[in-house]
Amino acid sequence: MRIILSKFGDILTSRQAGKEALAAFQSKLRSLSADENLEIDFSAVETFSPSWGDEFLTPLQKQLKERLRLINIADNPSVIETLKILEEVSEMSFERL
Amino acid sequence: MHRFLINLHRFYFYGKVTFMSEEYLNIGDASKLLGVSIDTLRRWDESGKFKATRTSGGHRTYREHDIEIFLNDLSSLALEWVSLPEPLELPSSFYCPINPIFQARLVKLQTALKSDPSTPEYFSLLVAIAGEIGNNSFDHNIGNWPDLPGVFFAFDTHKRQIVLADRGQGILQTLKRVRPGLPNHTEALRVAFTEILSGREPEARGNGLKFVRKIIQDYPINLVFQTGDASLHLKEKQKELAQLINPIAIHGCLAIITY
Repeated sequence: MRIILSKFGDILTSRQAGKEALAAFQSKLRSLSADENLEIDFSAVETFSPSWGDEFLTPLQKQLKERLRLINIADNPSVIETLKILEEVSEMSFERL
Repeated sequence: MHRFLINLHRFYFYGKVTFMSEEYLNIGDASKLLGVSIDTLRRWDESGKFKATRTSGGHRTYREHDIEIFLNDLSSLALEWVSLPEPLELPSSFYCPINPIFQARLVKLQTALKSDPSTPEYFSLLVAIAGEIGNNSFDHNIGNWPDLPGVFFAFDTHKRQIVLADRGQGILQTLKRVRPGLPNHTEALRVAFTEILSGREPEARGNGLKFVRKIIQDYPINLVFQTGDASLHLKEKQKELAQLINPIAIHGCLAIITY
């Protein structure tokens, strides 16, 4: 399954918006089969910051572990730097493709 | 330093010599341009905050150029807003009373940065930093604003400056919920910018200011951040925190980002 993250907006910075995005995604997540990967596609995301990421990505990473794959991170510095601090704070590592 | 800046700001208006041929606006047009009411402009004239000149008929009139300067002096406006005991009315274009308005203005910042050819390629980090600082103001003061809710948020892409401020509880008070032993603003500011807070109860507390610091260490961005009587200055490749204690404490937080 793939989520196009920019469908939640091209500026993803607010904690509240991150919570709402995860809640909105829950029903779709339930259809993910036990051996299926979830791909988070960062293309067209302009600005990404830790508050939004902590509410959306951190719980998904805890739940899915290596089945969570991050794709199209490209060279957006706000995505790259936010992923680094989320990994540091939560002592985990995201699978980047 | 605050008083100096505020007085400098006022002097700028009192002491201005009118030698340029400029367009003058009546009080109604000036109020629309500034985003404040006519009554507020009358009060600002009487108090000296923003003086009008008088026409031969005795009506207040405003030089358009003075209004532009007033709106462009972002850091002084923000500093004055967080320094005074009572909140002054702000130009509506700078005031975000609720988070959705802040989010909409963040989109404007991103659009302005993207459309400016001189903007650095790492502009998304500027938006991310402004987003983290502004969202912190809302997240940590929800239901607990001491007087006026919301944030001051303004930017000037020509001066390469982004200014945010709030009249919230300040970092010391909000951080005491998770670190009750914090002794003062200086220590609270140090913890906020340097220590990873992993204990997330009793509130979801991000590590946004650590993110801000890490970014600024690696990119040519400057930040002056004040809360209470403590301030710090972050710049690229800086290893230690440069902290200062200021003679006058502010309400909430003030952040001035330059790039």
